[in-house]
Amino acid sequence: MQLLPFYMVCDESGSMAGPEGVGTINAALPDLHHEISTNPSVADKTRFALIGFSTQATVLQPLADLSELTQLPALSAGGVTSFGAVFRLLKDTIEQDVTALKAEGHDVYRPVVFFLSDGIPTDDGWQAALKDLNSFRYAPKIIAFGISDADAATITEVANFKAFLQRDQSVSPALALREFASSLTRSIVSSATSMAAQGGDGFQLQVDEQVPGFTSLSLDKL
Amino acid sequence: MSAEDGADVERSTLTLAERVGSGGQGDVHAVTGGPLLFKEYKEPSKANGTALADLVALRQGLGGTDRGRLDDLAAWPLCRVVEGGRAVGFLMRRAPANLTWRTASGATKLLELQYLIRPPKAAWQDVVQPDPDQRRALALACVEAVAWFHGAGLVIGDISQANVLWSLSPGPTVHFLDCDGFRRVGRPAVQAQAATPDWSDPLAPSTDATVDTDAYKTALVAGRVVAQEPYVLPGQDLQPVPGCLNDRQTTAVCALFAQAAGERGTRPRPGEWQTALGDRDVITLTAATPRPRPSVDHTVLDGPRDRTTIRLRGPVE
Repeated sequence: MQLLPFYMVCDESGSMAGPEGVGTINAALPDLHHEISTNPSVADKTRFALIGFSTQATVLQPLADLSELTQLPALSAGGVTSFGAVFRLLKDTIEQDVTALKAEGHDVYRPVVFFLSDGIPTDDGWQAALKDLNSFRYAPKIIAFGISDADAATITEVANFKAFLQRDQSVSPALALREFASSLTRSIVSSATSMAAQGGDGFQLQVDEQVPGFTSLSLDKL
Repeated sequence: MSAEDGADVERSTLTLAERVGSGGQGDVHAVTGGPLLFKEYKEPSKANGTALADLVALRQGLGGTDRGRLDDLAAWPLCRVVEGGRAVGFLMRRAPANLTWRTASGATKLLELQYLIRPPKAAWQDVVQPDPDQRRALALACVEAVAWFHGAGLVIGDISQANVLWSLSPGPTVHFLDCDGFRRVGRPAVQAQAATPDWSDPLAPSTDATVDTDAYKTALVAGRVVAQEPYVLPGQDLQPVPGCLNDRQTTAVCALFAQAAGERGTRPRPGEWQTALGDRDVITLTAATPRPRPSVDHTVLDGPRDRTTIRLRGPVE
């Protein structure tokens, strides 16, 4: 089977506390799970992992077939925003996951990371960790979303495929977070729908051009 | 609005309710106050309005019985929707409730073929699975539907897990969606459309749609339904679900499935699948043998002959 792994990577630093922050994502995850798990031809070809990061980064849900899951660990806010910790964890996790899937006989497409942060990184050295992530053999495609205090320059630096910034204060962070989860759901469904289970001509990663509540940022960096 | 007479409907006269689906070619909305759905093309300039009119006319040209059969089998384009003289989409009926299922969270989803061709999982345990004989009957209903469409002079094109619905109530039945992908044999389609991944004929470009690519995909449907195996291909070992087929049916179905791996033009036709999956026994006929030739008496036929010469006219003097 040809598989496409998705990693949902969420900032759960202290500023994400409350129902308008991590609570919104926790509330949106059952919808994401429902949509994918009741669509077996999509679930067959995709895998999903949930990673939270603040001072440290944690794999909350290891990479799994969503239709095999009956619960997910919730995000819980606290701490500062260490981008370096999450990029290092992503690299190690993706390395292990892809190796394990290949050992099971699967063909694995380049993993996809949906990254969300509401602020600016509080650690030094995160750029070096990002560079390591982007240069290793299973380097993922990164779609980065910024809400609240996130700044455009940082979000475009993290992204290597697409970047989105919450439009302005007229859009609530909660709405933006729901749209982030919906955009990930749509990407999983439409990417898997364009992918063959075996052989085939490869596929195109499908990511929204525009996400409601967000401005699409250019990645044409010089 | 009935849309029953097939006449074009102006886009401005439609009041749309919720969006019920979205695909590469267009969005599908409910039309307020009725059972109709509106498929609106994202790029109407790419839609062939004449081909769409052909499909509408086909239904209008059917007698009552056949029209009823078509409506049972398919969410057929009832009429075109036009704006500024250009076709921007069409109206069709919403799939009846027996072709849907309710998830644990209360959402309604279409009962797509994808839930029939793989072992069930807890996430969609509310889909009532067929017993083995109903599974055979559903496979038979699929190939009968293809036979009916071909008999009506149509090519289906994209037969897949997402655009065939099924139901066990009142009896095993199937229903085709995305019917603007159908075309009259030899005519262009409303829009060029690639086959669904895992449902394409390996010997034809993915946008090809012919009676022959339909024959290949019919084998995929029949084989995947009886084996409950979503990715099995002709040329691979087919293992029907225990109790689904008797010995005769198993032999016949496996032979047809293998035959579908062959060259274009040699794939089994829907009628052959109907016989293989049908519950009637077949009678083996003794092939007629030619009458023995009479023996030839060469002494009579090849005796000595008297060969004379023919005098030709000489040059004119």
